[in-house]
Amino acid sequence: MGTTVTHAPAMEGLSQDSEPRHGPVKPERPAALKRRRRRENLAGYLFMSPWIAGFLLLTAGPMIASLYYAFTDYNLFDAPKWIGLDNFSEMFGDPRWRHSVQVTLWYVAVGTPLKLIAALGVALLLAQSRRGQAFYRAAFYAPSLIGASVSVAIVWKAIFSDDAIVDRTQKIFGIDVGGWTGDPDMIIYSLVALTVWQFGAPMVIFLAGLKQVPRELYEAAEVDGAGKFRRFWNITLPMISPVLFFNVLLETIHSFQIFSSAYIVGGGAGGNACGPADGSMVYTCYLYVQGFENSRMGLASAMAWLLLVAVALVTAVLFWSQKRWVHYEEGAR
Amino acid sequence: MVNGRNVERRTILKAAGATAATLGLAATTGCGGDGGASADGTVTIRYAWWGAEDRAERINKTIELFHKKYPKIKVKTDFQPYLDFWKKFNTQASGGNPPDVFQNAIGFLRKYDAKNILLDLSEQAEAGHLRMEGFRAGLEKFGEIDGKLLGVPVGSNSMALVIDKPVYTRAGVKPEQGWTWDDYHAAMKKIREKTGRAGDTGPYNIMYLYDLYLRQSGKAFFTEDALGFTEADLTDWWTKAKEGVEDGSYANQKKVAQIKPKSAVAGEISGGEFTWDNFTVRYTSEGKSEYGLAPIPTTDGKKTGQYLGSLMLSASKRTQHPKEVAQFIDFMVHDPEVAKIMGYDRGVPATQAQYDAYKPTDEVNKAIAAYEESLVKAGVLEPITPHPNGADVCESAFLRIGEELGLGKRSVAEAVKQFFTESKTALGT
Repeated sequence: MGTTVTHAPAMEGLSQDSEPRHGPVKPERPAALKRRRRRENLAGYLFMSPWIAGFLLLTAGPMIASLYYAFTDYNLFDAPKWIGLDNFSEMFGDPRWRHSVQVTLWYVAVGTPLKLIAALGVALLLAQSRRGQAFYRAAFYAPSLIGASVSVAIVWKAIFSDDAIVDRTQKIFGIDVGGWTGDPDMIIYSLVALTVWQFGAPMVIFLAGLKQVPRELYEAAEVDGAGKFRRFWNITLPMISPVLFFNVLLETIHSFQIFSSAYIVGGGAGGNACGPADGSMVYTCYLYVQGFENSRMGLASAMAWLLLVAVALVTAVLFWSQKRWVHYEEGAR
Repeated sequence: MVNGRNVERRTILKAAGATAATLGLAATTGCGGDGGASADGTVTIRYAWWGAEDRAERINKTIELFHKKYPKIKVKTDFQPYLDFWKKFNTQASGGNPPDVFQNAIGFLRKYDAKNILLDLSEQAEAGHLRMEGFRAGLEKFGEIDGKLLGVPVGSNSMALVIDKPVYTRAGVKPEQGWTWDDYHAAMKKIREKTGRAGDTGPYNIMYLYDLYLRQSGKAFFTEDALGFTEADLTDWWTKAKEGVEDGSYANQKKVAQIKPKSAVAGEISGGEFTWDNFTVRYTSEGKSEYGLAPIPTTDGKKTGQYLGSLMLSASKRTQHPKEVAQFIDFMVHDPEVAKIMGYDRGVPATQAQYDAYKPTDEVNKAIAAYEESLVKAGVLEPITPHPNGADVCESAFLRIGEELGLGKRSVAEAVKQFFTESKTALGT
């Protein structure tokens, strides 16, 4: 990120001038200096130890294990059996797996832009000074605070299910399609609606970015006769493009990882875990089914690693694309 | 951060203490299964089952009763809905920490036996901690596989056509024991014409019904290690099903999916559906109409292929208290008081003592008892066909792919192909 780069020199300066501040005039002997360093390092490691232990036990260890399982046939009960790349070839030949990839790509491609448009749109409205501004900001941010929770997904299901509020409202307008969550073609839209509704986090970041745009640019453009749209297109967008890039990156990665909302809205307890006729079967949902319902942990691990690689690739493409559309201030890159 | 030299020793000690505390905490929460007996000889066993609130209330009452009779055995319960139950059970069992006693069903016996999870209860039966006599209609054989006693039945039920009585009456359809599939299809058409409602939710994704259909012609859904039917058989079954959806004999499948988890019968979308007879209780609490039981249609006018299905209690091979577990199971299946509390919640009680102890007074439960008695009288009951390791995965595939077929997401040929592919993977054939 461009922003971290700008901070780097400042931090160096800090650590440089810190030494003379405490240091006595008489220079320490190298041995004493070494001892002191070691003590400081020890304290540092000690403070970090809960995190290090957690990382090793809960993140690194399982990751290494799952990388190994990805190449095995492992049903949780019997010892894993090495099968090389069979899990991967099985995946590509499985129509259900291909379907889950399609559903996920569609969800990412439709949900992410809509969410960002909503976030930017509301951020533009809230960036202006108005009465009750703090209230509106909090109100729009709130959904993304509670958004990841299971309870919201349950509420969502209740809103979009058969004969619930959305269904009844549609009927008033003579549209009788029934509940969305039980409909294999509609359920994915309710998931998109859920993610769009949770636009608060990118909105706050957009707000911060909008505040950074120098007022003089708008004033100058206005003098030159640029209209509102012109000013947005030629000033606002380029000026906030680093923030936009950050949000696109983050939200895309998030979208790929959608699970709990899909799992709960799509069925969760009872029935098909991935919506009627696999209508909301996103990639992680199928991964879960293979792992926990069919007890095929090896295959599920392989799927997880493939997802990691896919997200890394998409991220790389986004980074590569940024030189075409992301504008950093002079000297900041 | 910068003046690291001034880090006080006390702070470091505190940090170290906090770390130790965190790790210690992780260690205690890490192992939930305490198998040991406490100082006064009280042992604790864990009992897991699937179901909902209503069953939970009943089960808690039976456990209170158990605590009174066996004060030295403490029972800790844990319950989830059906699908979640097995996910949790799998995870616990693979971690070497399954519950000591748990509810089980025929589709899982071989699976968990193959994985060395289930305790052979015959030793406990021989030792006299578990009585295996007094069961109805040969049910004591139900949990026996390869000479091992892997489960003890708590209740029996059988497949039936549960119907919305007023709808069938209005259409003038009166299903009788021994009616054929042709009679049934004609009846469905008649119900649609006379009442405007579908006569049936759609029978094609119910594995247990298809099993009966196959058994009527000497086949079965499963053999001991594979599927007991061919692609041609299934193509035939699913083609008929598709026609039924298209001509309106069966309910609008989209609507059926939309109103889930409510059943289509209770939701007044269809006039009936094939399911376990004790589900009548559930429909009665869900819906407004009056529900009854009709017999399974036949191929030759006689053979229905029916057997008594059953929920069982199984024990974990890793339990440290096999004797207490056996005593608990014995209490649950034999004690008359338990039957009075549970009613027909898990089917009609498996033992004669419990069957006699609970005589239903309400119409619905009376009808279930009468239905099962009529099966015994008609002499249609046969032994169950075994379910191989992997049967549960086949069942959920059958359910899902059948639903996709009904919703028009797949052609019959595609659906059959997909089902066979998935089943072969699950069964390892």
